[in-house]
Amino acid sequence: MLEATNLTKHYNGVTALDSLTLTVEPGEVFCLLGANGAGKTTTINLFLNFIAPTSGTAAINGIDVVQQPLETKKYVAYIPETVMLYRNLTGLENLEYFAALAGRPDYTRDQLLGFFQEVGLAGDAADRRVGTYSKGMRQKVGIAIAIAKGARSLLLDEPTSGLDPKASNEFSDLLKRMSDSGVAVLMATHDLFRAKESGTRVGIMKHGTLVAVHGTDEFGHADLERLYLQYMHD
Amino acid sequence: MFLRILRHEWSTLRADATLWVVAGVFAVAIGYGVWNGVRWVEFQTRALAGAAAEEQERYDGLRQRVDDIVKTGGQVSPFADPRSPSNVGGRLGPRYAMLPPGPLAPLAIGQSDLLPYYFRISTDSRENILAATEIENPQRLLVGRFDLAFVVIFLYPLLILAVTYNMLSAEKEQGTLALVLSQPVALRTIVTGKITLRAMVLVGTVLVCSGVALALGGVDLASPGIGLRLLLWAGAVAVYGAFWFSLAALVASFGRGSATSATILASAWLVLVVMLPSLFNLAVTTIYPVPSRVEMVQAMREASDDASAEGSKLLASYYEDHPELATGDAEQAMTDFNMIRVAVNDDVERRVRPVVARYEQQIVAQQAAIDGLRFLSPAVLMQEALNDLAGTGTARHRHFVAQVDRFHAEWRGYFTPLIFQRAQVTSFDDVPRFAFEEEATGAIARRVGVSLAGLALPAALMGLFGVSRLRRYPVVG
Repeated sequence: MLEATNLTKHYNGVTALDSLTLTVEPGEVFCLLGANGAGKTTTINLFLNFIAPTSGTAAINGIDVVQQPLETKKYVAYIPETVMLYRNLTGLENLEYFAALAGRPDYTRDQLLGFFQEVGLAGDAADRRVGTYSKGMRQKVGIAIAIAKGARSLLLDEPTSGLDPKASNEFSDLLKRMSDSGVAVLMATHDLFRAKESGTRVGIMKHGTLVAVHGTDEFGHADLERLYLQYMHD
Repeated sequence: MFLRILRHEWSTLRADATLWVVAGVFAVAIGYGVWNGVRWVEFQTRALAGAAAEEQERYDGLRQRVDDIVKTGGQVSPFADPRSPSNVGGRLGPRYAMLPPGPLAPLAIGQSDLLPYYFRISTDSRENILAATEIENPQRLLVGRFDLAFVVIFLYPLLILAVTYNMLSAEKEQGTLALVLSQPVALRTIVTGKITLRAMVLVGTVLVCSGVALALGGVDLASPGIGLRLLLWAGAVAVYGAFWFSLAALVASFGRGSATSATILASAWLVLVVMLPSLFNLAVTTIYPVPSRVEMVQAMREASDDASAEGSKLLASYYEDHPELATGDAEQAMTDFNMIRVAVNDDVERRVRPVVARYEQQIVAQQAAIDGLRFLSPAVLMQEALNDLAGTGTARHRHFVAQVDRFHAEWRGYFTPLIFQRAQVTSFDDVPRFAFEEEATGAIARRVGVSLAGLALPAALMGLFGVSRLRRYPVVG
């Protein structure tokens, strides 16, 4: 479960995020929409404690991320726009290392290969150096790391931007499977189509403020786009 | 977890060409440095063996001539008589006072190629023997020769910086840092792991190579105190490394880009290792200049001329100072050439003493200034420590010169009474011999210990400050 309470961040007098209050329950996929600089990435960085909040709190599983950063990171996985891995190591070696950092150093090779299969990566890719991977493959490794970690919350920062439609679709399927298993997902995205497809709720952000929250079942694709553009005009 | 990080760092470092280039450069440099050190010690050992052989041969010749004279009962000129104490103590029978190469000399040539390591001791005045060769030796702080100490002091920090300057910035720039720090692991654990692995590789390499140098250089591992010296050598290499690793960690903690960090670290190296030592050198030689060699030679020449002109007068006053040497026949004593020479040498020494004293005073002042300034440059601290441990520094040399002084006094104490008694040297075996006594290891350990503390303290402060700053490390942006 992800919770933000009056979460605020100022950068040198500029408000990047203004009093965000938000809860993402297990099984929910909350999509943050908004222009560049609206505060989506700031929100995710605050949840990861990569930046310190000016005021308010962010909590994962009910634990404050500033007070117990290492504890909260046991329950959360992070997938950035491009999952950057150690290019000189193989996919499997990367997965093994990140799983070990996540507190799971005990996986056998077969178990690790199982995670690769689960996210739809071909068996021979596991032993290839990551330097040769496509972006779609890297994002899948990101999911594999999250699964291996057993994360109960997932933070995604525009994970499908630049993916071809097929890869993007595969990625969304994986996301769906994770959320079905009770993972709370917070995803920043520009992709309205993906947000409608895989999200349960969407939130529209503007100049650091969450201006609207809707369930994705409230309207169709075209309605969402219209609604979004309406908020962007002013 | 920590071990897993070490293993990971090893796999990524191993896959990176930088490590192998660095390791290759390092191995070649160490090999060349060790080879130079071993060669220099061999050269010194050969020179000393040559001197010893020359002395032995000369004494065999003297014995032979004495035997011949006794057998034939023939006459011999007083100036060539091998039984005359004046001849044996002066021209014919000087013995060498030799400083053997230091216990770990192949590791650091130090000052041993600048400072004389043997003297030919005779009844001649002290300055003719000692100071003339010693005066105005530059108190060099920069290492002259490419030996293992040079590699350790100059290259080792560069290589440390080469593998650490971007340890965090590269991960940030490549984007892996964010993924790592989204795991339940503290940045300081990651940084400690990175530094530990790199330290193991580099410090290990230096220590193994030092070991090889010792094996090749024929260092006597049974000599007293050698264990402590080796331990301190290893400690010095580790602490000096820690200083540079801490500096790299401190700079990394500021979160600047790889290029900026590289520039900062390279500048720090340049200032601390290259510029400060030469500045110190310039400062001490400017503030405490030693009298020039020309002045010294001039003083000696004048003193010799003046003293020789006053030969018998000097002998008379010499008798006043040394009444125990007076024998019955005063008239004859006052014209004895050999006795006059003893008195003249004594007087030359007295006249030159102010110049020598000024020289020695300046050298002591220079050394004292350096002893204080060294704490500002890790390279100077390290140089002094390694020279001390190798036995090629100024302290051991001063220790040697003090022994030579005592031996010179002993030599004259042996021959002068014989000259005044007009006795003969009966047995060449009784002529004093010099045996160098090594410095007490405890004294060296104390000096080196202070230097190492001077390195460890800033290393610890920079390390702690750097680690505490990591809390606020800008992971993004």
